[in-house]
Parts: sequence; structure tokens; C-alpha cells
Amino acid sequence: MSYLDLTIKEIHDAILAKKVTPEELVLEALKRAKADNNNAFEYICEKEALEELKNLKDKDPNNILYGIPFSIKDNYSTKDIPTCGSSNILQGYCPVFDATVVKKLRDAGAILIGKTTLDELAMGGTGTSGHLGTTYNPWDKSHTHLIGGSSCGSAANVASGVVPFSIGSDTGDSIRKPASNAGLVGFKPTWGRISRYGLFPFAPSMDHVGFFSRSVEDSLIILKALAGRDDRDMTSSYENVSIDLSKSIKGRKIAVIDNIINSISNKKIIEEFNKSLDYLTSQGAIVDKITMDEDLLKAIYPTYIIISCAEATSNNANLDGIKFGLREKGNTLDEVMINTRSKGFCEMIKRRFIIGSYSLLRENQDELFFRAQKCRRLIVNAVNDILKEYDVIYAPASPSVAPLEKGNSGDKLSDEYLVADNWMAIGNFGGLPSLTVPIGFDNNLPFGGNITGRVNDEETVLIIANAIEKFTGYHNLMAKEEK
Amino acid sequence: MKKVTKEVLKKAANNLMFDMSDEQYDTLLEEFDVITKQMELVSRIKGVDETTPMTFPFDQKSTYLRKDEVKTPLSKQEALKNADDVVDGYIRLPKVVG
Repeated sequence: MSYLDLTIKEIHDAILAKKVTPEELVLEALKRAKADNNNAFEYICEKEALEELKNLKDKDPNNILYGIPFSIKDNYSTKDIPTCGSSNILQGYCPVFDATVVKKLRDAGAILIGKTTLDELAMGGTGTSGHLGTTYNPWDKSHTHLIGGSSCGSAANVASGVVPFSIGSDTGDSIRKPASNAGLVGFKPTWGRISRYGLFPFAPSMDHVGFFSRSVEDSLIILKALAGRDDRDMTSSYENVSIDLSKSIKGRKIAVIDNIINSISNKKIIEEFNKSLDYLTSQGAIVDKITMDEDLLKAIYPTYIIISCAEATSNNANLDGIKFGLREKGNTLDEVMINTRSKGFCEMIKRRFIIGSYSLLRENQDELFFRAQKCRRLIVNAVNDILKEYDVIYAPASPSVAPLEKGNSGDKLSDEYLVADNWMAIGNFGGLPSLTVPIGFDNNLPFGGNITGRVNDEETVLIIANAIEKFTGYHNLMAKEEK
Repeated sequence: MKKVTKEVLKKAANNLMFDMSDEQYDTLLEEFDVITKQMELVSRIKGVDETTPMTFPFDQKSTYLRKDEVKTPLSKQEALKNADDVVDGYIRLPKVVG
């Protein structure tokens, strides 16, 4: 048994009891990072981590993150450490500053051991489009199953035990879906709860900082360390985080949207989800099945794709081969930019940019971009109406376990795809706190349930997740043993 | 709405300062077909066009004045650190004029 296989809380206690040192933990994490065969790393920060260990003497050993190794998705700026967003267009780019979340974790004494792979520039949900290729799911040693995305490397790191936590980002469900596929706790707090200064923007009206861990308690620890107003991110919140995980769930009202349940064909997922509902009821929570407007639910994905592509097109216009990153040759300035952008972006990114640009054309704006923005408001209004009467919405995070790499991508107009596979984007549309927690296994592959709550009410989301974790016993799950 | 054709998509790509292969444009045309059908679902939602567009998840006031203290800005050296071809403190590019 290695102390690195424990949760943050347990490792911290072991450090204080002098059973393990930060150096031993970091060396073990680096060893595991170098042995990683899931293609989860863009860059392993070996010399930086060893240097950071020397700085620990200036940090407070009582800080719960002191000496804890972690990794971070490679769309966060890390000073003097290569950062490319898993894209060739940022080849060789080394930021000159740390993202706020990186600075906060460094100040707490946590040690960064690696930058993790993602779908290129965070625009994807499969974990396949990064420039280094597919990131695999540690739960399947044959590497035939994906882990999902876009925070694929971060999920793989925590699931395989390289680190006890990893920072990701979530614009459509990019933490919460891979968390389901990897048996992890994946948490996306309220929009603005954590500063996005230094996070590459994809679709800023929906981008969130979030993270993976192996326990709900660890999620709270990370939230407390990262939350807080940052004047360098004007959308960051002034609200304080005050959460008591020991609070009872008795009397909490949970809405289960039966349209989502009815669109899932996997019986095992429904069976385990229902068991968790029965448990929550037995503990005094009030669980009600409700029906949402089916048309609004089916509109979630197209609303998301139009808004996110439009915002992404604009936000990535600065990647031009001039100031940083890849630069291709050209006889004119235009040629430099065209050659760089043609070579630097993968096909899928280019398609998304064109979709975004097309939807922003004056003659298309009303029918595409503005209509999507209007639909977003209707969806958020409908969800907030539910959350006026209920404390949270709870449903399976996905209609399936991790997909096969060579599987059929499925019918993009089916209820299962539009509703069950994409409903979690309501958390991004409305900026709602949203957490995925493991609830079961099907053929040795995990799947999760997702709890989405009211703006700034992380407490209710966390205490319900905590209750589910107690029931399932899926605390500190790692892909090292068969289930 | 402008009809989606390969020429329209090529023009959009060129305006975005990149190009794709013919096969990639064909894939995109198929993708547009699906998106168009998905957006038809959106168009059928009651009251959608009468609603105010949403640009942020929720309203939140964020105003402050920073203290009148001198701060150290990014140095020229740091700002140019990642540029490919720097000469005398400038980024060198193909000539634009002349």
C-alpha cells in the first residue's frame, strides 16, 4: 500500500503523523506519471516538482494540501511550464504567469507533477482529439474504452492513482461526464466561484473551473482552497464558501427528471440509480419524479453547440502564429496566419470554428446564434423553476458506461443522445453547482449519478453526494482492482 | 438564413484564416445537416423568438477601483519571450507595405 493511494485528507493525516514525507509522495507520483500508459500527460513537471519541494519549508505544513501531488489540465497557464491545450497551434508556448488556481495551490504547498491531456483546446467530449491522440480509460487495461472529455488526462490520472486530485475545466460536461466514465467525484461549482484567470477561454459564458477527486470530502477541501474573489477575473464571485458536510439530508427535496430516465436503455444504470434513490428516501430526503418540457430538453445540445462554437471562434482568433506558439512560413502576413492556423488546428476544431462563424453571420444570427441564446434563457428559467421547489436535480450522468473507441457514434437526433447524454449542460447554461459521484458498475466499467443544485448552494449538492457515497461505499475508487 | 453550401463554408473558413481539404468540407456539410435538424427543434419551442437572449448565467455585480499603487506590468522581454522571430525588441514578419 502506498500513501499516495489514499485521499487528500488521509494523506495529510499521514504527513502530520510523519508516516510519509512530501518528497516520498512526489517521487512516487512522478514514477507513476512516467509509467502512465493511458496517454494522460502533455508534460511531466519533474524538475519543477523537485524544485517546488525545496520551497515547502516556507509553506504551512498544517495546510491540508501541503505536500500533496496534483496534476492540472493543460489549458491552465503555468509559469515557465509548456502549456499547449493539447493543440499544435500552441507548440512551444510557455506562459509567463500562473493561473490563479495554480498560484493558490502552490501557496497551499500542493506540488504540481504534470500537465494533462485534453480534447484540443477543451472543445470535445471524447478524449480523442488532442494532438497526442486518444487518452484511455484506466478501468479498461485493453485500451478499447475511452474516458471521455474534454478533461481526459485529469480523469485518467486520478482514476489510475497517479495523483489524488486533478484540476479540469467544464464548459458542457467536460469534468462531470469523464468522472462518470472513470468512477470519480467530478465537481463543477457555481460559475464564478473559482477564478478563471489563466484558464484558456473556450466559451466564457459557460466555462467553469472544476476538479476530480476520489471522495466528496476531498472535493470540499479543494473547493475551499480555490474559491474566492479574484479581481483579475471580473466574473468571479464575492460569495463566501461555508459548507458543513455533516448536515443531514433529511427534508431535502430531490427532483428526478423522468424524461432523462425514460431515455436511458441501460438497465443496470437505472437499477443502481433507483437503489440510490431508495437510500436517499430512507434517510429522509423527499424524492419526486417530475416531467420537464421534452422540447426544451432536446434543445439543450443544439443550444450548447451553437453558443459554444460562436464564443470559441471569437476567443481563439488570437491564435495566429505571430505572438506565440506555432508559426508556419508565408510570403505575406496573411499567408503566415492561414498556414499556421490550417496546420495548427485539428479538423474538428476547424469545423467547430466554422459552425460558430456561420451562426454569427448577420443573415444567420437571428435563426442560429440569437435563437440559441434565447433558448438558453428558456432552459435556465425552466430549470430554476424546478429548483424553486426542489433543492437539487438528480439523474444518471450518462446513458452508458465509457464508450468504445471504435464504437458507433450513435444517432445524434435520438432521445438518448439529446436528452440523457447532454442534459448536464444545464449546469453550464445556468452556472449551477453540479457534481458527479460514482453509483455503480456495468461489466467492470463505472458510471455515475449527477446532482445539480441552485446557484451558490454547493452545500446541498455536496451533502447529498456525501450521502450517496456513504451508501455505495465507492470512496477512493481506483482502477487497480476488479469490481 | 444563408443556405449551407461548400462555397459558403469555404468562405467562412477563409475569413477565419484557415483552410480545409475537400473531404473535411464534405464532413462538415453532413454535420451541418444534423445541426440544422437539431436547431429546427429549437425553432419549434414556444415563445423562443420573443425571449431576451441570455449572455451570462446570472446577473452579478462586479465593480471595484483598485488602490492607486504602482504595479509592475509585464516586461517587454516577457511579452516577447514566446514570439518566434524577434529582432531589436520587435516581432519580425513578412513585409506588409512596399
